[in-house]
Amino acid sequence: MSEPTFEEAQRELEAIVNRLESGEAPLDEALKLWQRGEELYRLCRERLENAEGKIEELASRAESARPE
Amino acid sequence: MGAFNRGIASWLGRLPTVWVEGEITELRRQARWASVFFTLKDPADGSCLSVSMPRGQFDAVGGSVADGDRVHVYGRPELFAARGEFRLRALSLEQFGLGDHLAALERLKQKLAAEGLFAAERKRALPRFPRKIGLVTGNDAAAKRDVLTAIQSRFPPASVLVAETYVQGPRAAGAVIETLGALCREEDVDVIVVARGGGSFEDLLPFSDERLVRAIAACPVPVVTAVGHEQDMPLCDLAADARASTPSVAGRLVVPDLNELLARLDRARSGLERGARRALERERQRLDRTHDRLGRAPRLLVERSRHRLEQSAGRLRALSPKATLARGYAIVRSGDEIVRSGSAVEPGERVDVELAEGGFGARVEEAR
Repeated sequence: MSEPTFEEAQRELEAIVNRLESGEAPLDEALKLWQRGEELYRLCRERLENAEGKIEELASRAESARPE
Repeated sequence: MGAFNRGIASWLGRLPTVWVEGEITELRRQARWASVFFTLKDPADGSCLSVSMPRGQFDAVGGSVADGDRVHVYGRPELFAARGEFRLRALSLEQFGLGDHLAALERLKQKLAAEGLFAAERKRALPRFPRKIGLVTGNDAAAKRDVLTAIQSRFPPASVLVAETYVQGPRAAGAVIETLGALCREEDVDVIVVARGGGSFEDLLPFSDERLVRAIAACPVPVVTAVGHEQDMPLCDLAADARASTPSVAGRLVVPDLNELLARLDRARSGLERGARRALERERQRLDRTHDRLGRAPRLLVERSRHRLEQSAGRLRALSPKATLARGYAIVRSGDEIVRSGSAVEPGERVDVELAEGGFGARVEEAR
Protein backbone atom coordinates (compact mmCIF):
# COMPACT_ATOMS: atom_id res chain seq x y z
CA MET A 1 0.00 0.00 0.00
CA SER A 2 1.45 3.43 -1.00
CA GLU A 3 1.62 6.25 1.54
CA PRO A 4 -1.71 8.05 1.75
CA THR A 5 -1.76 11.80 1.16
CA PHE A 6 -2.40 14.01 4.16
CA GLU A 7 -6.03 14.41 3.17
CA GLU A 8 -6.55 10.68 2.69
CA ALA A 9 -4.92 9.94 6.04
CA GLN A 10 -7.04 12.54 7.79
CA ARG A 11 -10.22 11.22 6.20
CA GLU A 12 -9.39 7.63 7.17
CA LEU A 13 -8.56 8.68 10.72
CA GLU A 14 -11.90 10.43 11.10
CA ALA A 15 -13.78 7.46 9.64
CA ILE A 16 -12.05 5.22 12.20
CA VAL A 17 -13.04 7.54 15.04
CA ASN A 18 -16.65 7.52 13.86
CA ARG A 19 -16.65 3.72 13.75
CA LEU A 20 -15.13 3.51 17.21
CA GLU A 21 -17.50 6.06 18.67
CA SER A 22 -20.53 4.25 17.25
CA GLY A 23 -19.61 1.48 19.73
CA GLU A 24 -20.36 -1.15 17.13
CA ALA A 25 -16.88 -2.46 16.60
CA PRO A 26 -16.08 -5.71 18.43
CA LEU A 27 -13.04 -5.57 20.67
CA ASP A 28 -10.59 -7.17 18.26
CA GLU A 29 -11.61 -4.76 15.55
CA ALA A 30 -11.63 -1.83 17.97
CA LEU A 31 -8.06 -2.53 18.99
CA LYS A 32 -6.94 -2.85 15.39
CA LEU A 33 -8.73 0.38 14.53
CA TRP A 34 -7.07 2.11 17.44
CA GLN A 35 -3.66 0.98 16.31
CA ARG A 36 -4.32 2.06 12.73
CA GLY A 37 -5.74 5.37 13.96
CA GLU A 38 -2.65 6.10 16.04
CA GLU A 39 -0.51 5.33 13.01
CA LEU A 40 -2.54 7.75 10.87
CA TYR A 41 -2.40 10.40 13.58
CA ARG A 42 1.40 10.16 13.74
CA LEU A 43 1.61 10.25 9.97
CA CYS A 44 -0.52 13.40 9.78
CA ARG A 45 1.42 15.11 12.58
CA GLU A 46 4.70 14.28 10.90
CA ARG A 47 3.47 15.59 7.58
CA LEU A 48 2.56 18.89 9.21
CA GLU A 49 5.66 19.19 11.33
CA ASN A 50 8.22 18.05 8.81
CA ALA A 51 6.84 19.88 5.81
CA GLU A 52 9.17 22.81 5.41
CA GLY A 53 7.61 25.94 4.04
CA LYS A 54 9.40 27.16 0.95
CA ILE A 55 9.22 30.37 -0.99
CA GLU A 56 10.83 29.97 -4.39
CA GLU A 57 11.01 32.39 -7.26
CA LEU A 58 10.01 31.22 -10.69
CA ALA A 59 12.71 32.99 -12.64
CA SER A 60 13.95 30.88 -15.49
CA ARG A 61 10.77 30.16 -17.37
CA ALA A 62 9.17 33.56 -17.17
CA GLU A 63 12.29 35.41 -18.20
CA SER A 64 10.68 37.24 -21.09
CA ALA A 65 7.81 38.39 -18.89
CA ARG A 66 9.95 39.75 -16.09
CA PRO A 67 10.50 43.43 -15.61
CA GLU A 68 13.93 44.44 -16.81
CA MET B 1 7.89 60.85 -59.67
CA GLY B 2 7.88 63.94 -57.54
CA ALA B 3 4.83 65.09 -59.47
CA PHE B 4 3.17 61.74 -58.77
CA ASN B 5 3.71 62.07 -55.02
CA ARG B 6 2.56 65.63 -55.04
CA GLY B 7 -0.52 64.60 -57.00
CA ILE B 8 -1.38 61.89 -54.48
CA ALA B 9 -0.69 64.28 -51.64
CA SER B 10 -2.98 66.89 -53.05
CA TRP B 11 -5.66 64.28 -53.71
CA LEU B 12 -5.38 63.02 -50.10
CA GLY B 13 -5.51 66.60 -48.93
CA ARG B 14 -9.03 66.83 -50.22
CA LEU B 15 -10.22 64.11 -47.83
CA PRO B 16 -12.13 65.37 -44.78
CA THR B 17 -10.71 65.41 -41.28
CA VAL B 18 -11.79 62.34 -39.32
CA TRP B 19 -11.81 60.81 -35.81
CA VAL B 20 -9.85 57.59 -35.52
CA GLU B 21 -9.75 55.36 -32.45
CA GLY B 22 -6.85 53.12 -31.51
CA GLU B 23 -4.14 52.14 -29.07
CA ILE B 24 -0.90 54.13 -28.97
CA THR B 25 2.29 52.23 -29.65
CA GLU B 26 5.84 53.24 -30.51
CA LEU B 27 5.42 56.76 -29.20
CA ARG B 28 8.46 58.83 -30.16
CA ARG B 29 8.83 62.34 -28.81
CA GLN B 30 12.00 64.38 -28.77
CA ALA B 31 12.48 67.97 -27.74
CA ARG B 32 14.34 68.83 -30.97
CA TRP B 33 11.61 67.42 -33.20
CA ALA B 34 8.80 69.62 -34.35
CA SER B 35 6.44 66.68 -34.39
CA VAL B 36 5.65 63.74 -32.17
CA PHE B 37 5.28 60.37 -33.88
CA PHE B 38 3.37 57.32 -32.87
CA THR B 39 1.54 54.39 -34.33
CA LEU B 40 -2.13 53.79 -33.71
CA LYS B 41 -3.03 50.15 -33.43
CA ASP B 42 -6.43 48.53 -33.63
CA PRO B 43 -6.44 46.06 -30.71
CA ALA B 44 -9.07 43.93 -32.44
CA ASP B 45 -7.19 43.11 -35.63
CA GLY B 46 -3.72 44.57 -35.14
CA SER B 47 -3.84 46.92 -38.09
CA CYS B 48 -1.61 49.95 -37.73
CA LEU B 49 -1.60 53.58 -38.76
CA SER B 50 1.35 55.99 -38.53
CA VAL B 51 0.47 59.30 -36.94
CA SER B 52 2.36 62.55 -36.60
CA MET B 53 1.28 65.46 -34.45
CA PRO B 54 2.77 68.91 -33.89
CA ARG B 55 4.71 68.69 -30.65
CA GLY B 56 3.13 71.76 -29.11
CA GLN B 57 -0.37 70.43 -29.70
CA PHE B 58 0.59 67.00 -28.46
CA ASP B 59 2.06 68.37 -25.28
CA ALA B 60 -1.01 70.55 -24.73
CA VAL B 61 -3.48 67.67 -24.83
CA GLY B 62 -1.58 64.48 -24.57
CA GLY B 63 1.32 65.13 -22.26
CA SER B 64 0.38 62.12 -20.13
CA VAL B 65 -0.34 59.81 -23.04
CA ALA B 66 1.81 56.68 -23.08
CA ASP B 67 2.16 53.46 -25.02
CA GLY B 68 -0.85 51.23 -24.57
CA ASP B 69 -3.34 54.05 -24.04
CA ARG B 70 -6.47 54.08 -26.08
CA VAL B 71 -7.08 57.41 -27.77
CA HIS B 72 -9.29 59.18 -30.23
CA VAL B 73 -7.26 61.12 -32.78
CA TYR B 74 -8.74 63.89 -34.90
CA GLY B 75 -6.78 64.41 -38.06
CA ARG B 76 -6.35 64.36 -41.80
CA PRO B 77 -4.70 61.68 -43.92
CA GLU B 78 -1.65 62.99 -45.74
CA LEU B 79 1.30 61.83 -47.76
CA PHE B 80 4.75 62.81 -46.60
CA ALA B 81 5.72 63.53 -50.18
CA ALA B 82 9.51 63.52 -49.62
CA ARG B 83 9.43 59.84 -48.57
CA GLY B 84 6.20 58.66 -50.11
CA GLU B 85 4.88 57.69 -46.70
CA PHE B 86 1.22 57.81 -45.85
CA ARG B 87 0.16 58.88 -42.40
CA LEU B 88 -2.44 60.65 -40.34
CA ARG B 89 -1.67 64.23 -39.49
CA ALA B 90 -3.23 64.65 -36.07
CA LEU B 91 -4.72 67.96 -35.09
CA SER B 92 -6.15 66.89 -31.79
CA LEU B 93 -6.09 63.92 -29.50
CA GLU B 94 -8.39 62.74 -26.75
CA GLN B 95 -7.70 60.03 -24.31
CA PHE B 96 -10.23 57.28 -24.51
CA GLY B 97 -12.67 58.41 -21.87
CA LEU B 98 -13.78 56.52 -18.80
CA GLY B 99 -17.24 56.21 -20.28
CA ASP B 100 -15.86 54.62 -23.43
CA HIS B 101 -13.85 52.15 -21.39
CA LEU B 102 -16.82 51.29 -19.24
CA ALA B 103 -19.03 50.75 -22.25
CA ALA B 104 -16.40 48.56 -23.93
CA LEU B 105 -15.96 46.58 -20.70
CA GLU B 106 -19.67 46.11 -20.32
CA ARG B 107 -19.94 44.80 -23.90
CA LEU B 108 -17.07 42.39 -23.28
CA LYS B 109 -18.61 41.28 -20.01
CA GLN B 110 -21.96 40.55 -21.71
CA LYS B 111 -20.23 38.64 -24.48
CA LEU B 112 -18.15 36.47 -22.14
CA ALA B 113 -21.09 35.90 -19.81
CA ALA B 114 -23.16 34.74 -22.79
CA GLU B 115 -20.43 32.22 -23.55
CA GLY B 116 -20.80 30.90 -20.01
CA LEU B 117 -17.26 31.88 -19.00
CA PHE B 118 -18.42 33.23 -15.64
CA ALA B 119 -20.94 30.46 -14.87
CA ALA B 120 -20.97 29.18 -11.29
CA GLU B 121 -20.79 25.55 -12.44
CA ARG B 122 -17.45 26.24 -14.11
CA LYS B 123 -15.89 27.17 -10.77
CA ARG B 124 -13.62 24.54 -9.32
CA ALA B 125 -13.15 23.88 -5.62
CA LEU B 126 -9.79 25.04 -4.31
CA PRO B 127 -7.56 22.24 -3.02
CA ARG B 128 -7.64 21.97 0.79
CA PHE B 129 -4.02 21.00 1.01
CA PRO B 130 -2.12 22.29 -2.05
CA ARG B 131 1.33 20.81 -2.62
CA LYS B 132 2.53 24.08 -4.08
CA ILE B 133 0.91 27.47 -4.56
CA GLY B 134 1.72 29.56 -7.61
CA LEU B 135 1.71 33.32 -7.07
CA VAL B 136 1.56 35.78 -9.94
CA THR B 137 2.33 39.26 -8.77
CA GLY B 138 4.03 42.44 -9.74
CA ASN B 139 7.30 43.43 -8.18
CA ASP B 140 4.96 45.70 -6.25
CA ALA B 141 6.00 44.63 -2.79
CA ALA B 142 2.73 45.12 -0.90
CA ALA B 143 0.50 42.63 -2.71
CA LYS B 144 3.19 39.97 -2.80
CA ARG B 145 4.09 40.48 0.84
CA ASP B 146 0.44 40.40 1.90
CA VAL B 147 -0.21 37.09 0.15
CA LEU B 148 2.97 35.49 1.48
CA THR B 149 2.40 36.75 5.03
CA ALA B 150 -1.16 35.48 5.06
CA ILE B 151 -0.12 32.07 3.73
CA GLN B 152 2.80 31.66 6.09
CA SER B 153 1.03 32.76 9.22
CA ARG B 154 -1.94 30.51 8.56
CA PHE B 155 0.01 27.53 7.30
CA PRO B 156 3.79 27.69 7.82
CA PRO B 157 4.53 24.46 5.92
CA ALA B 158 3.13 25.91 2.66
CA SER B 159 5.31 25.97 -0.43
CA VAL B 160 4.90 28.95 -2.72
CA LEU B 161 6.32 29.51 -6.18
CA VAL B 162 6.41 33.24 -6.80
CA ALA B 163 6.42 34.55 -10.36
CA GLU B 164 6.89 38.26 -10.74
CA THR B 165 5.73 39.90 -13.90
CA TYR B 166 4.25 43.09 -15.30
CA VAL B 167 0.92 43.92 -13.73
CA GLN B 168 0.61 47.36 -15.24
CA GLY B 169 0.81 48.92 -18.65
CA PRO B 170 0.30 47.63 -22.16
CA ARG B 171 2.39 44.51 -21.66
CA ALA B 172 0.65 43.41 -18.49
CA ALA B 173 -2.09 41.21 -19.94
CA GLY B 174 0.30 39.26 -22.13
CA ALA B 175 2.86 38.99 -19.36
CA VAL B 176 0.33 37.67 -16.84
CA ILE B 177 -0.96 35.13 -19.38
CA GLU B 178 2.57 33.94 -20.06
CA THR B 179 3.34 33.70 -16.35
CA LEU B 180 0.16 31.73 -15.65
CA GLY B 181 1.20 29.28 -18.34
CA ALA B 182 4.71 29.00 -16.92
CA LEU B 183 3.35 28.24 -13.43
CA CYS B 184 0.98 25.61 -14.81
CA ARG B 185 3.93 23.84 -16.40
CA GLU B 186 5.66 23.59 -13.03
CA GLU B 187 5.18 20.37 -11.06
CA ASP B 188 2.91 20.15 -8.02
CA VAL B 189 1.34 23.60 -8.47
CA ASP B 190 -2.23 22.91 -7.30
CA VAL B 191 -3.60 26.44 -7.17
CA ILE B 192 -2.56 29.85 -8.50
CA VAL B 193 -3.09 33.26 -6.93
CA VAL B 194 -3.07 36.34 -9.15
CA ALA B 195 -2.51 39.32 -6.88
CA ARG B 196 -2.23 42.97 -7.68
CA GLY B 197 -2.61 45.87 -5.33
CA GLY B 198 -5.00 48.72 -5.83
CA GLY B 199 -4.62 51.16 -8.68
CA SER B 200 -6.48 53.51 -10.94
CA PHE B 201 -9.19 52.26 -13.22
CA GLU B 202 -6.71 52.36 -16.10
CA ASP B 203 -4.08 50.52 -14.06
CA LEU B 204 -6.45 47.62 -13.60
CA LEU B 205 -7.65 47.50 -17.21
CA PRO B 206 -5.21 44.74 -18.21
CA PHE B 207 -7.08 42.50 -15.76
CA SER B 208 -10.19 42.92 -17.87
CA ASP B 209 -8.34 42.14 -21.08
CA GLU B 210 -10.28 39.53 -23.03
CA ARG B 211 -7.22 37.35 -23.60
CA LEU B 212 -6.34 37.32 -19.91
CA VAL B 213 -9.92 36.63 -18.84
CA ARG B 214 -10.03 33.68 -21.24
CA ALA B 215 -6.64 32.43 -20.08
CA ILE B 216 -7.81 32.42 -16.46
CA ALA B 217 -11.00 30.57 -17.35
CA ALA B 218 -8.98 28.02 -19.33
CA CYS B 219 -6.22 27.62 -16.76
CA PRO B 220 -5.87 23.90 -15.91
CA VAL B 221 -5.19 24.79 -12.26
CA PRO B 222 -7.79 26.61 -10.09
CA VAL B 223 -7.14 30.37 -9.95
CA VAL B 224 -7.83 32.85 -7.14
CA THR B 225 -7.72 36.52 -8.07
CA ALA B 226 -7.10 39.43 -5.75
CA VAL B 227 -6.91 42.44 -8.00
CA GLY B 228 -7.38 46.01 -6.84
CA HIS B 229 -9.71 46.88 -4.01
CA GLU B 230 -13.03 45.46 -2.90
CA GLN B 231 -15.08 47.72 -5.17
CA ASP B 232 -13.04 47.05 -8.30
CA MET B 233 -14.42 44.19 -10.26
CA PRO B 234 -12.07 43.46 -13.14
CA LEU B 235 -13.43 40.79 -15.48
CA CYS B 236 -10.70 38.34 -14.48
CA ASP B 237 -12.39 38.14 -11.05
CA LEU B 238 -15.53 36.83 -12.72
CA ALA B 239 -13.65 34.12 -14.57
CA ALA B 240 -11.54 33.04 -11.60
CA ASP B 241 -12.53 30.05 -9.47
CA ALA B 242 -12.49 32.25 -6.39
CA ARG B 243 -12.25 35.98 -5.95
CA ALA B 244 -10.60 37.54 -2.93
CA SER B 245 -11.24 41.10 -1.85
CA THR B 246 -7.58 41.61 -0.88
CA PRO B 247 -4.26 39.78 -1.33
CA SER B 248 -4.37 38.71 2.35
CA VAL B 249 -7.78 37.12 1.89
CA ALA B 250 -6.45 35.29 -1.18
CA GLY B 251 -3.59 33.93 0.91
CA ARG B 252 -5.99 32.63 3.53
CA LEU B 253 -8.18 31.02 0.88
CA VAL B 254 -5.49 28.77 -0.54
CA VAL B 255 -4.15 27.13 2.61
CA PRO B 256 -5.78 25.36 5.56
CA ASP B 257 -5.39 26.78 9.05
CA LEU B 258 -2.56 24.82 10.67
CA ASN B 259 -3.82 25.35 14.22
CA GLU B 260 -7.27 24.22 13.30
CA LEU B 261 -5.81 21.24 11.50
CA LEU B 262 -3.75 20.27 14.54
CA ALA B 263 -6.73 20.73 16.85
CA ARG B 264 -8.83 18.56 14.60
CA LEU B 265 -6.14 15.89 14.56
CA ASP B 266 -5.94 15.97 18.35
CA ARG B 267 -9.70 15.72 18.64
CA ALA B 268 -9.64 12.74 16.32
CA ARG B 269 -6.92 11.19 18.43
CA SER B 270 -8.78 11.57 21.71
CA GLY B 271 -11.87 10.20 19.99
CA LEU B 272 -9.73 7.28 18.98
CA GLU B 273 -8.65 6.67 22.53
CA ARG B 274 -12.13 7.19 23.94
CA GLY B 275 -13.62 4.84 21.37
CA ALA B 276 -11.10 2.10 22.01
CA ARG B 277 -11.44 2.52 25.78
CA ARG B 278 -15.20 2.27 25.51
CA ALA B 279 -14.97 -0.94 23.49
CA LEU B 280 -12.56 -2.31 26.09
CA GLU B 281 -14.81 -1.27 28.99
CA ARG B 282 -17.81 -2.87 27.37
CA GLU B 283 -15.98 -6.13 26.90
CA ARG B 284 -14.66 -6.01 30.45
CA GLN B 285 -18.16 -5.57 31.87
CA ARG B 286 -19.42 -8.43 29.79
CA LEU B 287 -16.57 -10.60 31.05
CA ASP B 288 -17.36 -9.59 34.66
CA ARG B 289 -20.97 -10.60 34.23
CA THR B 290 -19.95 -13.94 32.78
CA HIS B 291 -17.51 -14.46 35.61
CA ASP B 292 -20.19 -13.74 38.19
CA ARG B 293 -22.45 -16.28 36.61
CA LEU B 294 -19.61 -18.75 36.61
CA GLY B 295 -19.14 -18.16 40.37
CA ARG B 296 -22.81 -18.65 41.08
CA ALA B 297 -23.08 -21.84 39.08
CA PRO B 298 -21.81 -24.47 41.72
CA ARG B 299 -23.96 -23.07 44.53
CA LEU B 300 -26.92 -23.22 42.22
CA LEU B 301 -26.07 -26.80 41.45
CA VAL B 302 -25.90 -27.72 45.19
CA GLU B 303 -29.19 -25.94 45.83
CA ARG B 304 -30.79 -27.82 43.06
CA SER B 305 -29.38 -31.15 44.31
CA ARG B 306 -30.48 -30.49 47.87
CA HIS B 307 -33.93 -29.64 46.68
CA ARG B 308 -34.11 -32.82 44.71
CA LEU B 309 -32.76 -34.80 47.67
CA GLU B 310 -35.41 -33.40 49.96
CA GLN B 311 -38.06 -34.26 47.48
CA SER B 312 -36.76 -37.81 47.35
CA ALA B 313 -36.56 -37.96 51.17
CA GLY B 314 -40.17 -36.83 51.42
CA ARG B 315 -41.28 -39.42 49.03
CA LEU B 316 -39.20 -42.02 50.91
CA ARG B 317 -40.74 -41.04 54.21
CA ALA B 318 -44.21 -41.25 52.73
CA LEU B 319 -43.48 -44.82 51.78
CA SER B 320 -41.99 -45.94 55.17
CA PRO B 321 -44.25 -48.17 57.46
CA LYS B 322 -43.64 -45.79 60.37
CA ALA B 323 -45.94 -43.28 58.68
CA THR B 324 -48.60 -45.95 58.34
CA LEU B 325 -48.24 -46.91 62.03
CA ALA B 326 -48.53 -43.25 62.94
CA ARG B 327 -51.96 -43.24 61.29
CA GLY B 328 -53.10 -45.98 63.82
CA TYR B 329 -52.17 -49.15 62.04
CA ALA B 330 -50.26 -51.98 63.82
CA ILE B 331 -47.90 -54.67 62.63
CA VAL B 332 -48.49 -58.15 64.05
CA ARG B 333 -45.63 -60.61 64.01
CA SER B 334 -45.52 -64.30 64.83
CA GLY B 335 -41.86 -65.04 65.44
CA ASP B 336 -40.10 -63.24 62.56
CA GLU B 337 -43.05 -63.56 60.16
CA ILE B 338 -45.48 -60.71 59.66
CA VAL B 339 -49.03 -62.02 60.15
CA ARG B 340 -51.10 -61.17 57.05
CA SER B 341 -53.96 -63.66 57.44
CA GLY B 342 -56.11 -65.13 60.34
CA SER B 343 -55.28 -68.61 59.17
CA ALA B 344 -51.60 -68.05 59.89
CA VAL B 345 -52.10 -68.20 63.68
CA GLU B 346 -53.58 -70.68 66.17
CA PRO B 347 -55.65 -69.76 69.28
CA GLY B 348 -53.32 -69.51 72.30
CA GLU B 349 -50.34 -68.60 70.07
CA ARG B 350 -48.20 -65.75 71.24
CA VAL B 351 -47.74 -62.75 68.79
CA ASP B 352 -45.87 -59.44 68.92
CA VAL B 353 -47.71 -56.22 68.09
CA GLU B 354 -45.72 -53.21 66.95
CA LEU B 355 -47.27 -49.74 67.20
CA ALA B 356 -46.07 -46.27 66.16
CA GLU B 357 -44.86 -45.85 69.73
CA GLY B 358 -43.57 -49.11 71.28
CA GLY B 359 -45.62 -52.33 71.24
CA PHE B 360 -46.79 -55.25 73.33
CA GLY B 361 -46.94 -59.06 73.45
CA ALA B 362 -50.40 -60.78 73.08
CA ARG B 363 -52.06 -64.22 72.93
CA VAL B 364 -54.49 -65.17 70.13
CA GLU B 365 -57.97 -65.79 71.55
CA GLU B 366 -59.60 -66.93 68.37
CA ALA B 367 -58.55 -67.29 64.69
CA ARG B 368 -61.01 -66.28 61.96
